Amino acid sequence: MGQIQISNLTIEYKLLKGEGTFKAVDNVSLTVEAGELVTVVGSSGCGKSTLLLAIAGLVETSRGSINVAGKPITGPGPDRAVVFQESSLLPWKTVLGNVRFALEMRRWSAGDLNERAMRAIQMVGLESFADYHPHQLSGGMRQRVNIARALAVDPAVLLMDEPFGALDAQTREVMGEELLRIWERDRKTALFVTHDIDEAVLLADKVVVMGRNPGHIKDVMKIDLPRPRRGDVADSAQFIEYRRRLRSHLASDMAAMHLVREAV
Amino acid sequence: MVTFVSSTAQPRPRGVGRLNPAARSTLISFLAVVVFLALWQVAPILGWVNGRFTSQPTLVVQAAIEVFTSDNFLFHARISLSEFALGFGLALIISVPFGALLGTSQIARELISPPLMALYIAPTLILLPIMVIWLGIGMASKVAVVFLGAIFPIVVNTTAGMREADQRLIRAARSFGATRMDVFRHVLIPGALPSVLAGIRLAVGRGVLGVVVGELYVSQAGIGHQLVVYGSAMRVDRLLVYALVVSVFGYALTQVVRLLESRVRDWRSE
Repeated sequence: MGQIQISNLTIEYKLLKGEGTFKAVDNVSLTVEAGELVTVVGSSGCGKSTLLLAIAGLVETSRGSINVAGKPITGPGPDRAVVFQESSLLPWKTVLGNVRFALEMRRWSAGDLNERAMRAIQMVGLESFADYHPHQLSGGMRQRVNIARALAVDPAVLLMDEPFGALDAQTREVMGEELLRIWERDRKTALFVTHDIDEAVLLADKVVVMGRNPGHIKDVMKIDLPRPRRGDVADSAQFIEYRRRLRSHLASDMAAMHLVREAV
Repeated sequence: MVTFVSSTAQPRPRGVGRLNPAARSTLISFLAVVVFLALWQVAPILGWVNGRFTSQPTLVVQAAIEVFTSDNFLFHARISLSEFALGFGLALIISVPFGALLGTSQIARELISPPLMALYIAPTLILLPIMVIWLGIGMASKVAVVFLGAIFPIVVNTTAGMREADQRLIRAARSFGATRMDVFRHVLIPGALPSVLAGIRLAVGRGVLGVVVGELYVSQAGIGHQLVVYGSAMRVDRLLVYALVVSVFGYALTQVVRLLESRVRDWRSE
């Protein structure tokens, strides 16, 4: 149902000052099968977030196509929900209000909105904080609300843009496991952007490695680790091998960047 | 008196130092006022100053009683208050939607931003004589001056509040299918509210100033009119009573807006 098919996608921005354009994503083709969890890693500026926002319908594409469940993307749609980086919650609404807001914007009409919102909040374990405002919550809790908001609208595709990027290492680990637990319930098609290699391997069915200047796909690595996964899978020899390969990929990208800098 | 001495005990402070800091500062402020009032009271008696110019606290209290019980105080206060309320109300009704338009429309902004900023920065009291020529010496010219004084701070602050809207919130709302109208209602307006209120608070001061100066300039009734009357009669005591009335009104209204602001800003502490 929720297959994402990207073919020959190029995204260019007009530069604000001066002439010319900036190519954020260059000729990217990628398929995320229905029910697959795919992570995208790459150093900052490799276009991974831009790619995700394009699938969300929030960024205009220049060439190529994106299809979700066989239909081309023209803008945001009810088949997709995004979990953003920090601070995308309305600060003047409570946790419940924020999750409800998403349902209201989706013109959700089936059943009681509060009840549905509460169920999503329970799923991320925040039921006793439903009446709190975002500023009263920790960063990790806010991201749980972000996830609850996306889950509440029951999308076919879940798009996550470095959702744990602003969290400390411990919280990040806990959140990763939590996300796996939630995802394994109904296995929605999911795309997860991160710059954390461990996170990318732990979560993924396959990892997409992106490089920069301009943003392109360097490699797609299938992750053959048994599910359901727990955090301790990170100690397995297989995991360590995946991580080593990913790291060397990214390191070569960084090295290239340094060479470019020195050349300039 | 029994004192317990431990190894860490500080020597007991003497005098006001014994009180806790909050009580001490209250006491000091209170004493300062008492000393000031006492000096004010005795200075004319001792011949340090001319009582005709300075009046005395007791005379001011007496004048206040006279003013509030007779003197058509309510009549004049009602005139001034009506001028303020009408001008300020009109300013509110027009400025908030207008500011919202400017905050969301680039074209509208480019069209009227320069003259708007000029009017915001210039004291609108400059226009007082013109208002009197156009609208006469009655209430209408004061209503206009209050309106002009109040409208620009609110417009400018509303515009700024809308423009400073958090782009991440707009994007998140859009991702869930929010229309332009949804974004406006649920993201831009609540987000701009603290700025709008800050504009309103500034506008209160300008509006009060507009009423009083407008009436001082030319009028038949109102608080400012009374100030002119007692000014030419050299009634310092009564002038001080009216000055107090005006400042208490402006202060109280500002505090009300401040209270609203602090309630709205609660969620901003992020």
